[in-house]
This record gives sequence, C-alpha cells and structure tokens, in this order.
Amino acid sequence: MTIKIAQLSCGTEYSSVQYEIDKAARSVGAKVVYPDVSAADVEIAVERFGFRPRSNQLKLMIARAVQLADGNYAADAVFITTCFRCAEAALVRNEIRWFIQENTNLPVVTYSFTERLKASQLLTRMEALVTIVTRKELLARERQAGITAGLDSGSSTTKAVIMQDNKIIGKAWTPSHNVVESATHVLNEALAQAGLEYKDIEAMGTTGYGRFTLGDHFKDKVKLIQEELTVNSKGAVWLADRQRGEATIIDIGGMDNKAITVRDGIPDNFTMGGVCAGASGRFLEMTSRRLKIDVTQLGALADKGNWRNAKMNSYCSVFGIQDLVTTLGDGKSFEDVAAAACHSVAEQVYEQQLQEIDVRRPIIQVGGTSLISGLVTAVGEVLGEKPIVPADSQFIGAVGGALLSSGFL
Amino acid sequence: MSEERETRLLMISPSSRLTPEMLARNIHSMGVEVGLKETCYGCLIEGRRESVLKVAEMARKLQGNSVFSKRRAYRMGDPVRCRAQHGTRPGYSQLEAEWAALPFIEAGLDALDKGEKYKEIPAKEKLSVEKLIEICEVKL
Amino acid sequence: MKVFIDPPNSLILFDLVERFGHEPLSTMAALQERIDNIEVDMPPMNVTLDDVVSGLKYAGIEVPSGVRGRLAVWGPMIEEADAAIIVDDPPFSFGCVGCERSELMVKYLIKRRNIPALRLTYPNSEEEGKAFVGKIKEFLEGLQ
Repeated sequence: MTIKIAQLSCGTEYSSVQYEIDKAARSVGAKVVYPDVSAADVEIAVERFGFRPRSNQLKLMIARAVQLADGNYAADAVFITTCFRCAEAALVRNEIRWFIQENTNLPVVTYSFTERLKASQLLTRMEALVTIVTRKELLARERQAGITAGLDSGSSTTKAVIMQDNKIIGKAWTPSHNVVESATHVLNEALAQAGLEYKDIEAMGTTGYGRFTLGDHFKDKVKLIQEELTVNSKGAVWLADRQRGEATIIDIGGMDNKAITVRDGIPDNFTMGGVCAGASGRFLEMTSRRLKIDVTQLGALADKGNWRNAKMNSYCSVFGIQDLVTTLGDGKSFEDVAAAACHSVAEQVYEQQLQEIDVRRPIIQVGGTSLISGLVTAVGEVLGEKPIVPADSQFIGAVGGALLSSGFL
Repeated sequence: MSEERETRLLMISPSSRLTPEMLARNIHSMGVEVGLKETCYGCLIEGRRESVLKVAEMARKLQGNSVFSKRRAYRMGDPVRCRAQHGTRPGYSQLEAEWAALPFIEAGLDALDKGEKYKEIPAKEKLSVEKLIEICEVKL
Repeated sequence: MKVFIDPPNSLILFDLVERFGHEPLSTMAALQERIDNIEVDMPPMNVTLDDVVSGLKYAGIEVPSGVRGRLAVWGPMIEEADAAIIVDDPPFSFGCVGCERSELMVKYLIKRRNIPALRLTYPNSEEEGKAFVGKIKEFLEGLQ
C-alpha cells in the first residue's frame, strides 16, 4: 500500500526542494499528491476559511486544505510546507494546520524550508507520518510481553533497555561514539544487570539516528526499526503511565527537539526542530563546560538561581554562552547563570517549535535533558505548567523499542 | 531534437463550436508532421519547432478566433505534469481560469478583424464627497 | 521583438504577442531550456540550487528561497526583453506566478529597465476584451 501524503505548499518548485520532498516520501514508501481543486473552488474556499492572502498560491493551499477537510480528496497524511522567512506564508501555514487538525483525523507535519533542504532532513518526519498511518495497531500496544530489548542510538548518547513481562529489568547508557560499539556496550551492560544473555532476547527494537545500522548489525534479533518520534512517544506514555487520554511529550535532545502530542498513546501530531545548538541539550553541555562544572550539576544550580539576573543578548550557542561568561565576570552568581542557560533553551524550544502544535496537558518531559531539573523548571515556567518527568525518562526510546518490538512475538 | 523540440497546447475558447475531436481531426488533415494528443480543453501537439508553429498558426484560423496557443515546457505525456499521477499542479488552475476569459479575447480579435475601433473604458473612480452628500440628502 | 509577458505563464498574453508577430518571453520557454539541457535532473521544474543561489543577484539572502528561484528564471528574460506587457492584479495567477512578492519585484525590474511597457487589467466583458486586444495590438505595432 502506498501512503498518500497530501502536500500543501508554496515555493517548493522554485526553491529546488520539490525533488527532495518527493525523494523523502518515496524512500518511506509514500507518495506526494496534490488535492484537486478547480479555479472556481479557490474563491469559495478562501471566503469560507476567512484568511485572504495576497499571494494566489497561498489561496490555492487553502482551497486544497478545504478539499481535505470536506473529505473530497482521499489522503492518508498531510505535509504543509512553505519558504522559510516568508511571513505571509508562515501565517497561512499555521492556520491551515489548525484547520486540518480541527476538521480531519489526518496526521500533519509542517515545515519551512530553505533552498538547502535535503531529503535526509525530512526522512524522520515522513517516516513518522507513514508509521502513524500504517502501524496504528502496533502503536496501540500498551503492555510489553516476553523478553525484549530496545536500543536507542542518539546523537549524544546510546541507551539500551531489557524488559520482561512489562517491567524494566536492565538499563544502561553511554556517550555515543561508534554506533555499533556503543550499542553493544550498553546492551551487554543491560543484559548483565538483568542476569540474561544475548540469546535470551526474543525480539529487539532500534530507534534513533543509528537505527538502520543497528538493525542490520543485530538482524537476528531486531523485529522493529522505527524512527524516534513514534517510538519515543510510546516509551514516554508507558513510563509516565499515561497510556489513556491526551498528553504532550517534550524531548529536548542533543541535536534536535521533539514535541509530540498523543491521544491514547498514539501520536497524532509532532514537530521536530531543525539543527540549532541554542535550542538543544548541547547548549547546556557547552555552558557547563565553560562554567567548569559537570552537566549533571547544572540543574540543581539553576533551581537556586534567577535567570532575570543574567543578561543574555543572544540565544546562539557561541554568542549566548559568551554573554553568560561575561555576566559571570560582572560578579553574577553561578546559580543565576545556570538558570539563564536553562531558561534560554526552554524559551528557544518554545519559540521555535511549541507554537506549531496544540500543547495538551499533561506535559511529559523526557530524554536525557529532563534530568536537568533547572531545564524542567524553565519549561514549566514558559508553558505555565510544570512537566511530569517519569522515572528512567532518559530511556524512552529504548523502552519504546522494547515495548513495540514485543508486538512481533 | 531537444533544441528544436516544441510542445504546445492548443486551447479552444468555451464559446466555440469546435470540439477537441474536430480540432484533432483538422490537425491530422493538415499533413504536418507533429505528434498530437487530444485533451479536455483542445489538443497538445509536439514536434519540430517550425512544424508546431505552422500547425498553431493554421489552427488559430480554423474557426473564427476561437483557438489559442501557448508553449509548454514539458513533453507530451511527461509524468511530472500529468494530473493522473498526483493530482493537479498549480498551473492547471491558471489555465482553467484563463480558459474562462477566452470568449472576451475572442470578441476582441473578431472586432479587430471587422475593423472596429475599441472604446476606451474609463477606470472606475471613487465617489466624490459632494456626490455622497447629494445622495445622502436625497435619501433623507 | 522580444516581449516579456507578465504573468509570465499566461496563455492569453503568449498567444496575442505571437499572433501579432512578436516573440513572447515566457516561463514555459525558460523552463523548457532547463528541462532539456541541464544535466542535473531536479524535477519538476529543474530549478536547481544554483538557480536559487544566482537569484541573489536580484534579492538578498533574507528573501525567501521561492522568491529568489522565481527571479532567477524571470530576471534574465526581463534583461533580454525589448518591451513588456503587464497585467495588473490578475485574478488568476497560480503556479510560478502565485507569489505576490516575486510579482512585485518583476514589475519593478521592468520599470528599472526603462523599456516600453503596457499595463492592463484582464477583461471581464466583451467590451473590455475589445479594448484589451486593441491596446495590445497598438502597443506591439508601435514597437516596430
């Protein structure tokens, strides 16, 4: 079955990126389609939608969205994309996303591109759209069964989890270097903790950047190779015991961030940040290094400080951190500087990403950075509600992998 | 042939009595070597540039001024452009909208053929304050 | 003479310019050149990264890529044109002409070249059609 992803866009064909979009879709077994509209439909649709852009291509996007909302065109998922830095298109893009979500059950992903966009940047997003459509039943799984392992090969750390009968019986993590070596190391450690051997594993799931490499390396055990958006959200709701109802999962990663909304444990929308160190865990790591403390100490320090006391003129991981160091030179406390660094990352994640989704309560914060309490406090301040941080929150990907792969037993 | 290749669409004005099938038959009978594909709006033709231009020229004279033509970047049947592959591309709506306006252009060309002079159509002006006052007072 | 048409993909303008004996400069011709001759295949339009980068000649890096890509296609044609026919506020302009910002820039580039240019609006009646066609014919005849 080819999954039909309806593209609502402006500018892709003149930015040399349409080819990349098609390529990304093809590589995950999907196909990009354009909902048919007649010229006469455009005016009616724009009138009904109520937003009248000057650019006609944006009107066409609206008309296509209306076709989807009315069920006149069959598609499985929606991809809304416009040029980066176009204010008119950014307004339309966001309002169309709302409109589609209010009027359909289709998973949606939005993206603003530059001419440098490559298919690989879209791959995880496209793959997640396809997973949500094709693996609904698997994603509905709430209990782990048998003995399974999950491997999460992230950009900063590699994690392994061994689960048996819906319980975590072994877990380990290490900073990522060589994908296979790091994974083998943590897997062995987790197995030792569980008192099991490799041969005891009945199924394994891999996720994260190195998922394909690991899937290939452990091919005798691996039953599931899946992108981290859907896997992490499953791990998060399992860990937080929020399998029913709605929730928002925030995962501030080492390289990019994910914000996923779920309903009954199944993701229905997500955003994934671009590569910006200023809005990632990397910023906190770099700050800690400049402060000559371990990153694990940063959170507790931040909780004692006040970010308002440390002035930052930039969010950038180079200039922003320079600002913090200068502030320190001015005699401000370590605590205030640590709080400012956490606040800066939370604010960036909020500005760059969280406005793209409909944040639903409760908020579950996961990933390695959720262990930095100051960051969780900062996210709570920015969102107006303190996030839940479940135990073992850094193992979501590995837990999700172990949980979902047991569906193949 | 790439340098000389030309692909064109021939579009019939909605007010014309000509059908795409009649247009296609006429083009076949012109004896010019071009590839032809009948479409909902008229025909697509493809061949050497000079042949295509010749056919376009003759087609324009077929039935009053009701056949129009423009170049197309893509070859006939190119899957990139094909509606059946992925739904319509934006240019389709553009063509559809221009198609609806063709009878007015046809009227303009017919008038030229008859040697008619066109009338300058004054641009709509905003109502003057004086006029508005006048209207208001009458209503009262 | 070479006449740039705006909207550059207009069937009506392309047909009339050609009918009255001139060469219309259109998006279709510019794209065909890319489709037939460029070695890098970037369907559907074959507007490549190099094109979008070369669009920097017309607009800075802070301008969206879609605007620069469009200007990279149209800019050289405007530079080559002897005259231009512009339809203002076309009610239908989708596809390559769907971006209002790019369209504003096209009109400005034509103005800056200081070539003869005719500005019209699309007809909504037979009377307007007669004036539209009549003016275009007069303008094109005046170029000779």
